[in-house]
Amino acid sequence: MPGDSVLYSERPEWSDIQPIAQYETVTPVAPIFYSDEYKDATGYFRAVVKANERSERVLQLTEHIIRLNPGHYSVWQYRWSTLLALGSSLEDELLLMDELATTYLKTYQVWHHRRLIITELGGKSNPARELRFIRQGLNVDSKNYHTWAYRQWLLAHFNEDALWEGELPFVEEMLDEDVRNNSAWHHRFFTVWQSGVRAGEEDREYTLNRELSYTKEKIALAPNNGSAWNYLRGVLDFTKTSYSTLRTFIEPYTAPRDESEPEVLDLDNPLPSKDAQLPCVAAIEFLAEIYESEVDNAKRAAELYRSLAEVHDKIREKYWNYRVGEALSSAGQVVAS
Amino acid sequence: MYAPTKTDNYPTQTSIDQAKVEQILAHHNPNYISPTLPNPHSPTSPTSPQTPQTPHSRPQRNEAKLNKQSHINFLARLLIQGFPDRYTSQDASQPWLIFWIVQGLSLLGVGLDAGNKQKIINTLLACQSPLGGFGGGPGQAPHLLTTYAAVCTLAIVGRPGPQGGWDQIDRKKLYDFFLSLKQPDGSTLVSPHSEVDVRGTYCLLVTSTLLDILTPPLSASTPSFIASCQTYEGGFASASQPYYSPYFKVRNESTLMSDPRPPLGEAHGGYTFCAVASWVMLAPLRPPSSNPSSPPNPASTAQTSPSPRPEYPTSQFTPSQEEGPKINTRSLVRWLTSLQGSPLELGAFRGRTNKLVDGCYSWWVGGCFGVLEGLGIDGANFSQFSHSKAHTSGGQGGEGEGAEGEDADEWADDDDALFNKKALQEYILYAAQAPTGGLRDKPPKHADSYHTLYNLSGLSNAQHRVHPSADVTELLQKNWVDTPPPSPASAPTSTPPSPASKPEETEETFERHDIYLSKLPSESYEAWNARRKRIWIAASAWSEDESEGSVAYVGGSDNRVNASHPLFNLTITHSRGMLNHFYGQSFVVPS
Repeated sequence: MPGDSVLYSERPEWSDIQPIAQYETVTPVAPIFYSDEYKDATGYFRAVVKANERSERVLQLTEHIIRLNPGHYSVWQYRWSTLLALGSSLEDELLLMDELATTYLKTYQVWHHRRLIITELGGKSNPARELRFIRQGLNVDSKNYHTWAYRQWLLAHFNEDALWEGELPFVEEMLDEDVRNNSAWHHRFFTVWQSGVRAGEEDREYTLNRELSYTKEKIALAPNNGSAWNYLRGVLDFTKTSYSTLRTFIEPYTAPRDESEPEVLDLDNPLPSKDAQLPCVAAIEFLAEIYESEVDNAKRAAELYRSLAEVHDKIREKYWNYRVGEALSSAGQVVAS
Repeated sequence: MYAPTKTDNYPTQTSIDQAKVEQILAHHNPNYISPTLPNPHSPTSPTSPQTPQTPHSRPQRNEAKLNKQSHINFLARLLIQGFPDRYTSQDASQPWLIFWIVQGLSLLGVGLDAGNKQKIINTLLACQSPLGGFGGGPGQAPHLLTTYAAVCTLAIVGRPGPQGGWDQIDRKKLYDFFLSLKQPDGSTLVSPHSEVDVRGTYCLLVTSTLLDILTPPLSASTPSFIASCQTYEGGFASASQPYYSPYFKVRNESTLMSDPRPPLGEAHGGYTFCAVASWVMLAPLRPPSSNPSSPPNPASTAQTSPSPRPEYPTSQFTPSQEEGPKINTRSLVRWLTSLQGSPLELGAFRGRTNKLVDGCYSWWVGGCFGVLEGLGIDGANFSQFSHSKAHTSGGQGGEGEGAEGEDADEWADDDDALFNKKALQEYILYAAQAPTGGLRDKPPKHADSYHTLYNLSGLSNAQHRVHPSADVTELLQKNWVDTPPPSPASAPTSTPPSPASKPEETEETFERHDIYLSKLPSESYEAWNARRKRIWIAASAWSEDESEGSVAYVGGSDNRVNASHPLFNLTITHSRGMLNHFYGQSFVVPS
């Protein structure tokens, strides 16, 4: 294991095999200055691969190298095929992976190796336990790409109602912790809209209303949050619901708060929180799209896009001017150059 | 103008992390002076109010000057002296380390001497696997990503002929290796027993395009795989789930379902670049549209398409939008532009919604706009609405974002890009350059070779406009030469010289590459040539637009870096050189 002082070249149980140098006939450019420990271990790895050796000591050697360099995909591959060849306990391998994942969360290989194990174990695996393990990983790094993708793969692969049941509450916890966690919003979309229709969820109208209500509530809490707006638009696009149906909700977000207006509580159209910083760029864009879809309102759409280009979101001036052009041209008011 | 990101007085970890970065970046902005903002770099108390500082006395501030020599030295040192022990984590990416250095030097206008070139060629060939393809180092398993890095580096330093690297690539084994990784849903594993993701698809397509081994069997179902990776946000995920899980109770486990095929992971800049570039590279393989030469008028499609909005115009390289898998270019462009940071973030790109900006996305996200030129998408369609053309106050001086440093040329701001090229250049110049050489993610991180290349590539894309030129396409159409079938009289093992063989290649002792490798047994020589011709033209037509307004350098033309091919991230010259060799062509586009 890393830090052990004994090189493989000094271990009698490895004396039957000769290590192979990485570059035998070539002086490489841009060499990496490996530690003696790494050079020694990888020299023996090349030797066992050449000999096609599959043994317990290969498992020991590959684990050692993985701990030194978790990105060494060839070593992971060779370890995997050795585990299969030896008929080793994959449950034990999973426990080892539990340990490695906490240290090496960001490498692809750690998560992929888990996936190979779970796939191989099939019905003997414990996907619910995996979900709990993934949750722990997300507690450390709430936006880790591979962790979330692995969770989605797991759910899709097993596709069991019992596994799906906990997902929406799980996502809501993550969004309660950080309403700006885009990975969590994406996971919500995956769970609700992209994994088929499960028993008990056949009423898609109900689902749509629930999602719109949830998203509007989150927008009201902190309107300047691109994740929530992208989710809202995604839901409308997916269900082919017209953006116009949200006009009443959107309008208060498109201008500074009117303090003179008495606040009327409307559960379907939650108002921006007292501290919300208005106007909100995404709301202005949304309203402009509503106008764009309405006959005779192309000019109002163009005005709103122009306000984004010139006042509210100047870094995207070029893009907003492009939207001005689109709005006017789709209304037949101009032929594009 | 330099307002911090709005938090609605509702802090979460995301907004806290974001605020920290904005505070650091503010100190790299030559035009932002905050009397009350604590200066994290000040030797005095960090919390005492600062008096307004003149630009000259601000610490850690770069000028609008690309410190070319310092970056060249940074890269050259790594190439010659090598990498310290902590780079052991990159031991399975040695071709990448070399590519990042060598392409970085190419963009900086530095060519290597013959000795170093040969050393690089030899190092890379040592990484070629007996199974076909290149691994992360000698004796490592072949991998799609390291294969891309090796082949592209060879495009820069290699040449035809003995020991030149090009003809020592075993294309037959490489092709078989690619096929062995192909999955029923159109995706590819990146290496045996390894993961699927669109980066692999991208790397496979670049390599296949350059080496003339891109065939219909190799790319079967790949467009539908790519399309399935697009998320509701408009960007692309790493992969999708094909939903032929054996645990799916109703269906036969071997049935590939068309729906649902959910994307795995959220929309991400790196995966998006790979997906969109792959999409463009696949265009020549689809049956040509009925109207190959003229893109439809956007106004007219508005009348015929069901949606009230006009379709994005297609180029001659994309087929009719009516059949086959589609990607939503509208939501893609919206998402891409949404990733550009605020003026306080100096216009850097982030890779995902609500994550932090990072200099490498200058290429992955910024460069994606370059790729979109391959679909005919740029701001030119509606440029008459750009107020920056009518008014010159938009991007210069005063309090507009991105006002110039002292030595900068006037920014004409009449480019037709969809993103803010000026602001991105400013991030790279003011914040991404490390004081001791090389470029970085963001201050105060250290520079590394990866971030050096992708910042420079992003700078290149923000300076230049590279697009498939209609004029060049016409020239290429005229000057393509079909490869004739082998004459029956020739010996079975030797390859007859193609009509395009160069007279100076006199060595007969080495194996020339097999020019017929990409021909399928079932197809005629005519069909084979037609396909190769489309691929070669599509790849070779990308050219620098040197017309007025297409090129602009923040900080002046001394900051110019070379233009880069948006699909490959190689210079146009290097791309065409390799393409000509493997497609048996000798026509050189006049400059």
